[in-house]
Amino acid sequence: MSINEKFSSIRKGLLEFLVLKIISADHVYAADILRELNATDFATQEGTLYPLLSKLRREELVDYEWKESEAGPPRKYYKLTAKGKEQLRETLDYWQKISSTVKSLGQK
Amino acid sequence: MNRVITINLNGNAYQLEESGYEALRAYLDHAARRLEGNPDKDEIIADIEQAIAEKFRAVLGVNKTVVITREVTEVIGAMGPVEDSSTEGKSVEATGQPQATGAKASERSNTTGAAENGPQGVRRLYRIYPEGAMLSGVCNGLAGYLNVDATLIRVGFVLLTLLWGLGVLLYLLMVVIVPIAVTPAEKSAAAGAAATAQEFIRRAKAGYYGMKTFHDKHAHREWKRKFKQEMRGWKHNFQREMYEGTYNWRQHWAPQSGQPHPKFWVGMGFTLMILKWVRLLFLFLGIYAVYSLATKGGVFGVLLPAGIPLWVGIVAIIVIYQLLTLPLKALQFSCYYHGMPPHACAPWLAGPFAGLIWLGFLVAVIWLADHYVPQIHEALKQLPPLLHQAVDAVQRWLERT
Repeated sequence: MSINEKFSSIRKGLLEFLVLKIISADHVYAADILRELNATDFATQEGTLYPLLSKLRREELVDYEWKESEAGPPRKYYKLTAKGKEQLRETLDYWQKISSTVKSLGQK
Repeated sequence: MNRVITINLNGNAYQLEESGYEALRAYLDHAARRLEGNPDKDEIIADIEQAIAEKFRAVLGVNKTVVITREVTEVIGAMGPVEDSSTEGKSVEATGQPQATGAKASERSNTTGAAENGPQGVRRLYRIYPEGAMLSGVCNGLAGYLNVDATLIRVGFVLLTLLWGLGVLLYLLMVVIVPIAVTPAEKSAAAGAAATAQEFIRRAKAGYYGMKTFHDKHAHREWKRKFKQEMRGWKHNFQREMYEGTYNWRQHWAPQSGQPHPKFWVGMGFTLMILKWVRLLFLFLGIYAVYSLATKGGVFGVLLPAGIPLWVGIVAIIVIYQLLTLPLKALQFSCYYHGMPPHACAPWLAGPFAGLIWLGFLVAVIWLADHYVPQIHEALKQLPPLLHQAVDAVQRWLERT
């Protein structure tokens, strides 16, 4: 089992966190989220992203507004809600804790 | 040379080679099945359609007007399979299982929804007439929809009629609202059959893959207007009957000898107050239930089972509301018209007593439901934060205005 496979479920679990982090830039379009993710190991596709975005919206972590686009129909631009910002902050803190744990273990 | 099919994706026309169209149709059908039970299904599908449209636009140009099959498959590949993260882990792969049995169909009412009800045929409520219908096919259609014997439904309606003629009213309402199954596709959908190809054609005709905004909005408005009219008529009739009923009752039972006991009025006032508050509470709960059903697709954490259209849920809430408040209304009316039987041992107690019995009954029902139905237990546990949210929403609204 390669490292890549071993970490596939972890990557899957982290996706929501990363999507929140990308949306924290404010007024993000779904295609931009994909572009940003696809440059990393967390590459994903519309088929996964759209259901995830709708779940985040149902949980009131993100919200969107419609904006006219130069070509085609209006697009949805996503942004974090107060609850989403709070959750992102907590997750970031927790992530710091985990990564310092990973660093400190076995060092003695 | 290949045939070309024109499709409408989120308001723009695209021309696809026929086999590419088949592939896209299969992909969207599959996506819709995977999202079955997700309250945002239509929205996600619309998002996906728009993303596909954008990718198509990227491959088209002034001299290239048709999306060829290879490009369609590439776009589908880039989109990836639709995975519903909210039902992750439980989701079963779509198997193309042809038909749901009765037992399976009843499972559809579970709260987690999505996962279990794989790719069943879309079931729709129609009146089935004249095949096996007695009057207008309402019971027959309901029987097909719920997968039970039509006779049981008819008995149910007769029993409901004993409750202030509710059965008759409900029946008439359904005659007006529920359409008759005419086409073969509608007939099979009425009986819950999976007519995959036919079902797709029907959906395409109904604008499932485009043009839905105008069609739906118009039809929706028309339906809403009719529905409101019906409800007004229903309420008016009900109140008239109620009034006449109490009037007649009074004629028969009115005390022959003078005024009732003075304490009677104190008891009446108290009961009326309690009844009013309880009714107000029910009204708020009812309005909230309809609101949350329309916006979140569920009531108090209980999701609308897949395949049941929103309006059926709303009608169900209204019927439940009416059922719960009927006895309250009856009590209130009898309080107003103080038609107490003259030989009751303590007439001034009768009103409050009946009110207390009703409250006790209600508490008992809620208690039993809380103990034996886990979903209701969960829903009740969620109530306080929900109330907080409702209060917050009202406050925000007040601040804005």
